[in-house]
Amino acid sequence: MSAARTTARLLRAYPPAWRRRYGEELESLIAEASGGGRVSWRTRLDVLSGGARERIRSAGLEPGGSPADRLRASALLILCAWALSVLGGLVVGKSSEHWQDAVSSGSDSLASVAYAVLVGAACCGSAFVLGGLAAAAPSFVRFLRRGGWRRVHRPLGRAALLAAGLVAATAALSLWGGSLDSHQREGGDVAYAIAFVAWALWLVATIAALTGAAVAIANQVELPNRVLRVHAWLGAATAIAMATITAATIVWWVALADAAPWFFSGQRAAEGGSALSPQLFVAVAIMVVGTLLGGKGARRALGQLPALSIRARAEPR
Amino acid sequence: MPKESSNPTSAGGRSNEPTVLILTSLASEPKHGYALLQDIENFAGVRLGPGTLYGAISRLEDRGLIEATGAAGRRRPYRITAAGSETLRAAIAEMRTIVDTGTERLGAMPAPGAALAGGAA
Repeated sequence: MSAARTTARLLRAYPPAWRRRYGEELESLIAEASGGGRVSWRTRLDVLSGGARERIRSAGLEPGGSPADRLRASALLILCAWALSVLGGLVVGKSSEHWQDAVSSGSDSLASVAYAVLVGAACCGSAFVLGGLAAAAPSFVRFLRRGGWRRVHRPLGRAALLAAGLVAATAALSLWGGSLDSHQREGGDVAYAIAFVAWALWLVATIAALTGAAVAIANQVELPNRVLRVHAWLGAATAIAMATITAATIVWWVALADAAPWFFSGQRAAEGGSALSPQLFVAVAIMVVGTLLGGKGARRALGQLPALSIRARAEPR
Repeated sequence: MPKESSNPTSAGGRSNEPTVLILTSLASEPKHGYALLQDIENFAGVRLGPGTLYGAISRLEDRGLIEATGAAGRRRPYRITAAGSETLRAAIAEMRTIVDTGTERLGAMPAPGAALAGGAA
């Protein structure tokens, strides 16, 4: 691939607005720094990480100047972290279907407790996130009344379309799955397996679009300090819920691996099998990343509360 | 763990921060991206990547610490603003405090070589 083509591809890592402003200059600099020859891997990594940083910045996830801006960015980081946890949780949910059937009663106590904690923490986390959205709802309504719709209609419309499509696809897949036996549903029917993978990808795209729409809206809507304070505390509670979900998932996995390792490879008890499930590895890795981001966001959000209070007292009423 | 400066106009305060390096480079004369890279490598021995350089340039420009001169193009020069000069002065003062404190404390300690030489004697 030519250096010019490599550079053009690398620049796609940046947000379009940033590219319009600095793209030509950066392109020229990469060419000069590479001496007109091949673009080094070090330069490629540097440009790609720069693009990722600019995307985070343009999404409003990087702390801004004022305490309110920093708190808002931190709360949005927690929201994105929650989206990752939901994604990991959905994989765990699919991987754990009918796990209770795999263990005899009495030998599943630790796994049962861990799973109950996981479900409880997931419900609490969802309630905290919904609480945060509800707290921001009056400000959002005021924003719409002032003509804000045209500023957010694109991300919101995209998310709504994807969500509506997902509901229809879920209904269709459920009907189809109902007409199949368990062997066909677990991969025996190739067409159904392909449809399931497509549905899962659609689900991922919908979660990403909904999160993106929430971030785009939050960056436009003016939130009062009391709502930002509520967001800081709810964000911290959500981060705790994420950490609990991740820990409970790991405990459940370890406990079930001890009691019924063959469950994870879809075997019967007599056939044996390994508990090292690739999809659970991916799910736990996603959850760990979400938990770390959530913890970082919560620490940052709570750290802004004193400054927010001082500024609120200092501002003229 | 290093923390971000609470001063909103601070450039970071660390001598190897790209923002401090760029402001220092532009303190002499306006430069475009490649000239900045070369100058910073000459005076600081640090080779910034193009992505790192332009990330720092866009932040500095957003904060009004530097500004582009001339028309848009492939080699657009940047110059330091009055606010940028003030920020650079503050960053240098921060670094000078650390340098002075470190020098003073090291002066009160015997050099490792001197201690060994004293023990051998």
